[in-house]
Amino acid sequence: MSTALEQIEQQIAKLSNKAVKKNTGSIRTVADGVAKLDGLSDVMYNEMVQFPGGAIGIALNLEEDEVGCVVLGDISQLKEGDEVTTTGKLLSVPVGKELLGRAVDALGVPVDGKGPIDSKETYPVERIAPGIIARKSVSQPMFTGIMAIDSMIPIGRGQRELIIGDRGTGKTTIAIDTIINQAKINKVGIATGDKNFRPVYSIYVGIGQKNSNIVRTMSALEEAGALEFTIIVAAPAADNPANQYIAPYSGAAMGEWFMENGMDALIVYDDLSKHAVAYRQISLILKRPSGREAYPGDVFYLHSRLLERAARLDGKGSLTALPIIETLAGDVSAYIPTNVISITDGQIFLETDLFNQGIRPAVSVGLSVSRVGSSAQIKATKQVGGKLKGELAQFRELAAFAQFGSDLDAKTKAQLERGGRIVELFKQPAFSPSPIELQVAVLFAMQKGFFEPIDVKKVVEAAASLKSFFTTRQDALLAEVRTKAALDKDLEAKLLAACEAWKSSYSA
Amino acid sequence: MASHAKAANAFARQLFAMSVVDGVVSAERVSGVLQYVEIHKTANPVMVLKAYQRLIATELAKGVAVVEHAGSVNDSVLAAIAASMTKKYGHKVVASAKPNASLLAGLRIRVGDDVYESSIAGQLAALATSV
Repeated sequence: MSTALEQIEQQIAKLSNKAVKKNTGSIRTVADGVAKLDGLSDVMYNEMVQFPGGAIGIALNLEEDEVGCVVLGDISQLKEGDEVTTTGKLLSVPVGKELLGRAVDALGVPVDGKGPIDSKETYPVERIAPGIIARKSVSQPMFTGIMAIDSMIPIGRGQRELIIGDRGTGKTTIAIDTIINQAKINKVGIATGDKNFRPVYSIYVGIGQKNSNIVRTMSALEEAGALEFTIIVAAPAADNPANQYIAPYSGAAMGEWFMENGMDALIVYDDLSKHAVAYRQISLILKRPSGREAYPGDVFYLHSRLLERAARLDGKGSLTALPIIETLAGDVSAYIPTNVISITDGQIFLETDLFNQGIRPAVSVGLSVSRVGSSAQIKATKQVGGKLKGELAQFRELAAFAQFGSDLDAKTKAQLERGGRIVELFKQPAFSPSPIELQVAVLFAMQKGFFEPIDVKKVVEAAASLKSFFTTRQDALLAEVRTKAALDKDLEAKLLAACEAWKSSYSA
Repeated sequence: MASHAKAANAFARQLFAMSVVDGVVSAERVSGVLQYVEIHKTANPVMVLKAYQRLIATELAKGVAVVEHAGSVNDSVLAAIAASMTKKYGHKVVASAKPNASLLAGLRIRVGDDVYESSIAGQLAALATSV
């Protein structure tokens, strides 16, 4: 009781008797999350303004006699003539490890019903991306746990890799798999007690998603034990466009905290197509001139300034970004997809046809690329999967010709069969990422022809059997592959012996 | 509709510029402007005059310090406030008193968009948001 009184007394003592100066304005109109204000003659660009009832806004349009402002929070209580005051601050969100395992909104306010977040620090939502001096080239791997990606389109820490495809092609699944894989690696790394181990913390930003989808993502992460390493930033479709616009920047601020404090983080923006749509809505209400597809002229800058914040910093940590873009009818040449393709360091393109054929993840090898990831790939994967991308691309071309039913020579037939086996081998169920050492073992078996005698339709089953054999009976060998990260003659001999042992025990 | 509003605002700004002499709104010029609008039947007169009124009101507010007070305020205090504000803003500011019991005690001075507050109500509001 006395403590409570003391706290209030201290707070009162802090309040000085000096006059407080405020710059004020009044609401002229409010519509769809955007307010037009009179006054506020001292307001600065991107400054946070205070509305009555606790809602806050960001000044986005400074015009001759009015200020255009996006309103974050409940706008239903606002009316014409309400007083608005400047705060002299930029919009900031709580950051830190306290947010791990929690779901927050675009302002960092918890929405998961688990109580308040005791965060010690805040970071501004909008920050200038690190410059060239502060950066370091991408050279450390970020394993997704998806064999097709880790072997052919590798991702490095600090990279921006776009996941692009039509609706329902498994874009979010790839992102979730990656988050789950980071959690698995973190658990193994922490358990070993290695002081040099650098865990990867994840941030999932849901923009314009259905609430049910966000809940499903949360439960998938929770079931896989990955939520404790993850922050969920939710700006669902029911949120006003201002919140959807600001959410990825809030997530980036949370990720930057890890990066600035010498840790590694992964951020997923799901998805930037909806983000661009929310920004278009705001811009049109603000009466900014519209351009192609009615998007405002600065829609490229909208995404470039966001994605440039992902980096690997010299002497500090890294922030890896996996933005997601949803295409319409596979059209990658639309405005937003081409913008984001040009900003990122590569893309994983998912094809509807492949997905419908049961090839999941439906990664299109020909259209997918990682521009910087190969320098981050471990040597062991390069040794066993270096030629796979070329082989698969050749297979796709040959398969297209083979459709005409013409007679094929033996070499072409063999290439087609091998390609078919690789396709089968890369099939992987959702939410079950494979550790990199296991991927190396399976690809090694493929390289050495252990799957050749097996019927193409039974390759998936055989691969599952091989994985189970390695995880249950060759644990020490897998650990050796993991620690060495390269295949020397001794390790190759051991892997060969293990594969032989599996071959003798496996009956197709 | 949007282009009408844009044109009306632009025209109102022109009328406003004509109404200001040496940085001060001239009542004579304002009546001249109103006569012009009436005689020449400008397009969207209501829209133009509302925008013009807003600009004039904003400008006039910059020259008046509205002193809201809960207790009593004598003329010397008002004169001191007017002198202080005139010095601060670099143009003539006159003070006008406006009783406001909701302040509980203290003053709130408004000059244009700027509000200077030293009142109990303001401090309690700050306390409420910080606790």
